[in-house]
Amino acid sequence: MTTPVRAITVGLVACRTCGLVMQRMPVPGPPASCPRCTTLLRERLPRSAENTFAWLIAGVILYIPANLLPVMYVSGVGGGEESTILGGVLSFWRDGSWDIAVLIFTASVAVPATKFLALALLLWTVHRGSRLARRQRTALYRLVEIIGYWSMLDVVVVALTAALLKFKALGTAEPRLGIVFFCGVVVATMIAALSFDPRLIWDTGAGDGH
Amino acid sequence: MSSCASELFVCPHCDAVHRAVVLGRHEVAACVSCGRVVARHHSLSVDQLLALTVAAALVFLIANSYPLMIIEVGGMHTEATVWGAALLMLHGWAAWPAAVLALSMFILPLLQIALLLWVLAFARFGRRAPGFRGLLVALHRSRPWSMSEVFLLGALVAIVKLSSWVQVTPGIGIWALASLTILLTVLSLVEPRFWWTLLQSHT
Repeated sequence: MTTPVRAITVGLVACRTCGLVMQRMPVPGPPASCPRCTTLLRERLPRSAENTFAWLIAGVILYIPANLLPVMYVSGVGGGEESTILGGVLSFWRDGSWDIAVLIFTASVAVPATKFLALALLLWTVHRGSRLARRQRTALYRLVEIIGYWSMLDVVVVALTAALLKFKALGTAEPRLGIVFFCGVVVATMIAALSFDPRLIWDTGAGDGH
Repeated sequence: MSSCASELFVCPHCDAVHRAVVLGRHEVAACVSCGRVVARHHSLSVDQLLALTVAAALVFLIANSYPLMIIEVGGMHTEATVWGAALLMLHGWAAWPAAVLALSMFILPLLQIALLLWVLAFARFGRRAPGFRGLLVALHRSRPWSMSEVFLLGALVAIVKLSSWVQVTPGIGIWALASLTILLTVLSLVEPRFWWTLLQSHT
């Protein structure tokens, strides 16, 4: 199959909200807005790589206290105990619930780490103008988009546990500061992924006429 | 700026230009250069979509008025709802994650259902809903932040986690939440183009 033409080379622009395809204005000027949905028409997201990089760095920084600080405090008959995310995974593992341990580990540790690595790889290859494996890199971007919000899982678990476990005599659970940072990681990496324009991956090819 | 190229479709992930095709039942169109699914056949009419949205509104109501899970220990009893779990954390520094939870698990799903009801109810009678444009843009923008499925999985994990200490019973809310997740997923499979070209022949 022949390679399809790209909108940018034939002077077309598609609205990123409603998908309407239009001819680009010949004169450079302030961006016009889409006649169907009034979104500003842009060929590429403005400063996509810079924004993605900034949010990615923010996510990585927040990831450190998110893992070091406790996310929950549980008090029981035998006194209180604070637990971090990894501590929670380990206690599930020791209690024999390896499946829940794997699930929480995946959502809270593996997913954010994968997002960091994938976005860093995408930014780096785009910066270098790489033409290798563009289809696979676009697929990698889609993976980041899909797995993005599943990291909120631990925040939900902590919130529900704290809401339910409030028996003075038997035990109470309270959220701890780590969960704030963790929530920040999820939000920052989601914004990073949304700021990344995957078309940048394809903007570096020969035969594009620029 | 002329919108002459209505039969063209541009892949949002790689900028490849495609000619729009008519899809048959169960057919999915993928971009030839990057593999992204660019169009999906759906045979749902406005009436059917409206029915699904009404169903989603009802299960949303149930999911939020009945407890997701109940704990009973020696005569004492606590229960958690989606809203209650977020509200409980809404003080001090925990207000941040609580606000994100409330937004992504409660406010945005509710907003999406309300927007779809409004738009579809008018479309049902062949009319364009007031505020059609702004509402569809809001629907599009809020979609990545709406995550009721994550709440469902989180609730299941919490049940397993707590059941090692106390007796936990799943409530009606969790079944409603599961149904809501399925309905919202089905509704989100309808591509943006369908909504934007809705009633185009009428206007």
